[in-house]
Amino acid sequence: MEPLLKVENLRIELTTRAGVAPVIDNLSFELGAGESISFVGESGCGKSMTALSIMGLLPEKVGRIASGSITFNGEELTTASPKRLRDIRGNDISMIFQEPMTSLNPVYTVGEQIAEVIRAHQGLSRKAAWNQAVELLDAVRIPNAKGRVSDYPFQMSGGQRQRVMIAIALACEPKILIADEPTTALDVTVQAQIFDLLNDMKRQTGASIIMITHDMGAVAEMAERMIVMYAGRKAEEGPVEQIIEHPRHPYTRGLISCVPHIMSSISQERHALTEVPGIVPSLSDFGQNRCLFASRCNMVTQKCVDERPPEKPFANGQKAACWFAEEV
Amino acid sequence: MSNETLVSVENLGVRFAVKRGGGWGKASYLYAVDDVSFEIKRGETLAIVGESGSGKTTTALAVARLVEAYQGKVNLDGTDFLSLDDEASRLARAKMQFIFQDPYSSLNPRLRAEQIVREPLDSLSTMDEAEKKEIVDRLFAEVGLRPEQQRLFPHQFSGGQRQRIGIARALATQPDLIICDEAVSALDVAVQAQILNLLRKLQADLNLTYLFISHDLGVVQHMCDSIAVMYMGRVVEHGTRMDLFNNPLHPYTSALLSAVPSVDKARREATKRILIPGDPPDPVNLPAGCRFANRCPVAQDICRSQDPALRDVKGGHKVACHLVGEDAVSPL
Ligand SMILES: Nc1ncnc2c1ncn2[C@@H]1O[C@H](COP(=O)(O)OP(=O)(O)OP(=O)(O)O)[C@@H](O)[C@H]1O
Ligand code: SF4
Ligand SMILES: [Mg+2]
Repeated sequence: MEPLLKVENLRIELTTRAGVAPVIDNLSFELGAGESISFVGESGCGKSMTALSIMGLLPEKVGRIASGSITFNGEELTTASPKRLRDIRGNDISMIFQEPMTSLNPVYTVGEQIAEVIRAHQGLSRKAAWNQAVELLDAVRIPNAKGRVSDYPFQMSGGQRQRVMIAIALACEPKILIADEPTTALDVTVQAQIFDLLNDMKRQTGASIIMITHDMGAVAEMAERMIVMYAGRKAEEGPVEQIIEHPRHPYTRGLISCVPHIMSSISQERHALTEVPGIVPSLSDFGQNRCLFASRCNMVTQKCVDERPPEKPFANGQKAACWFAEEV
Repeated sequence: MSNETLVSVENLGVRFAVKRGGGWGKASYLYAVDDVSFEIKRGETLAIVGESGSGKTTTALAVARLVEAYQGKVNLDGTDFLSLDDEASRLARAKMQFIFQDPYSSLNPRLRAEQIVREPLDSLSTMDEAEKKEIVDRLFAEVGLRPEQQRLFPHQFSGGQRQRIGIARALATQPDLIICDEAVSALDVAVQAQILNLLRKLQADLNLTYLFISHDLGVVQHMCDSIAVMYMGRVVEHGTRMDLFNNPLHPYTSALLSAVPSVDKARREATKRILIPGDPPDPVNLPAGCRFANRCPVAQDICRSQDPALRDVKGGHKVACHLVGEDAVSPL
C-alpha cells in the first residue's frame, strides 16, 4: 500500500551570505496513515525545515527544494501550485508551533479564530461554526469552554493557548498533524496534558502525527518510529523502543546518554554524564562528502572523513548512516 | 561533606503591588514569595523546582537582595545578610554570584571575554593588574576555554562557550554560593551535558554551594542534594534528593514527577500519571485554604478552609499538606 506521505531524496538549499548550503541533504522517509513519528536532534539539524517543506512553507527567496519529491496521498507536492498547497494546508496537513502566541491573532477572540477555520473548511453558518468552536474547546479540555470562547489570546495561559492551537488544527480534521516542539515553552504537567490530548485525538480521528522535539523522553512517550537528524542528514531511523534499547549511530547513542534521565528508582551515586564533545557544524560545512559527525565521534577513522557513509539497514527495521553501525 | 549550613532562609516574603481594574482603588499585593524557608549546606546543591510563576526566580533574587523582601531573614555564613548596610552588603554580595539562562543577553556584547571575566574583580578589590591577569588566566583554564579566546567578543562564541564565560565571571570573586537560574535550559542536550559536568567538577574542586533553579527534573535529579518544590509562592515540599524522588509526599510533587516523560520503559510502566486539570488560582486573590486544593485529586473539606503549614514529617522531610500524617505516607 502507498504510504500517506512519502519523502524521497529531498534536498533543500538555503541561500545565506556564506553561499548555498543543503539544510536538508538527501532525506527519504515514509509516514503511514495513523502512524506517529518523531524527529529528534540538536537545533540547526534541519528538523523544522523538513516540516516546513512538507507544508510548502519554506522561507521565500532563502529556501528552495533543489531536488527530490514529497508525495501526499500519491500527489506530488514539490510542484503543486501555491493555491493547491494552501488548500492542503487548510484541509489535510496542519501544523502547530512552539510559541502559540505568535501564531494566534491577538485582536480576535479565540472563538472567532476557531470558527473562521471551521467555516472555511466545512462551509457552516456563523452560528453553527461558533457552536462547534465551543465543542472543540471543550474537546481540548479548556474548562468552562462556553465562557472562555470569547476570551482573547492574551487572557489565556501558555498551555491554554497551545490547546487553542490544537483546537484550530483539529477544526480542519487533518490527516497529518505536524507539531514542532509543541510543549517546549510549557510546564511539564501541562505538557503531559497536551500529550494525552494528542494521543486521544490520534486514536479518535486516525490522524498521523509528526512531532519534532529534542526530548528523548517525549519521543519515547509519543512516537512509534523516530528519525534522528544531524547536520541536515538522517543519522538514524527506526522503531523508538529498539533505538533507545540499542542505538546504531554514535550520535544517537550520545543523544541518549548525555541526558540525565529519571529512572524508575533514584540511586545515591551519580556518574558524570557522557559527553558528546564539540557542537553541530555550521551550515557552510553541510553537504560535504564525509560523515559530518566525524569531528565529534569517538569511533572516527580515516574512512569517515574520506566518504559519506551510506545508510545501513538492520533486520529489525533500524537504519543508520555510519560506517561502523554494526559495532555501535 | 561538611554539615555546616551556609545559607539559611527564614520566612522570606516578597510582594509586588498590583493595580486591578484601574482607577483609584487600593493596591492589592501579589505575594510572589510567601513565607519561604530553606537551608543549604556548604558544598551542596539545593534545587528549586515548580511551575512557571511559582516564585523560583523571585526567591533567588530576594536571597541576593536584588529584589526587596518585605519580611524574613537570609543568613549567609553566619551574617544576617538582609540587614547589612549598603557597603557591607556590596562586599557580602561578592560571595554570591548568578549564572543566568540566556548566554546571549547576559554578556555585554562590547566587551572582550577577558574583560567580562575581570569586571567583578575591578569593582571589588584592590588587586594589581598582574594579579588580576593571573586570576583571569586561571579561570579561563578552569572553565575549559583556551587562552587565545580571551581576546574575542561574545558573538564569536557558541552558546555553550558563552555559558562558560558566564561561569568564569561568576567564579572570579571566589564566591561561596552560586545561583544558577535555568543555567542550562537554553542549551542543546550535548552542550548541556558539558556544562553540567563542568559545574559538578567545579563544585567538587572549589567546595562551591549551588542554588539551582531548573524546570528539567532529570537535570535536577542529577545535580541536587536536596530540593524545594514551590507552588504559588510557597514551598510545599522540601527534602533530600532521595526523599523527594523516591518518596514524594505532596500531591503536587507526585503530579510533577509523574508528568516527566521518560526513556526508561520500566519507569513509564510503573508510573501512573496523576493529572491535575485546571489552572492555579489567581495569585492576587488567593483562596482561604490550600493553594493546590482546586487541582488536587485528594482534596477534602479541611483543604478548602485551612492553609496547611510546612512541617517536618520525617527526619527533615518537610511537607505542607493536611493529608500527610506522621507516618509520612503519600495521600494519593
Ligand atoms: N517585578 C515584578 N512585578 C510584578 N510581579 C512580578 C514581578 N516579578 C515577578 N512577578 C510575579 O511573581 C510571581 C513569581 O514570579 P517568578 O519569576 O519568581 O516565577 P518563576 O518560578 O521564576 O517562573 P519561571 O519558571 O517562569 O521562571 C509571578 O506571578 C510573577 O508574575
Ligand atoms: S492540603 Fe489538601 S488540597 Fe492541599 S495538597 Fe494536601 S490534600 Fe491536596
Ligand atoms: Mg524564573
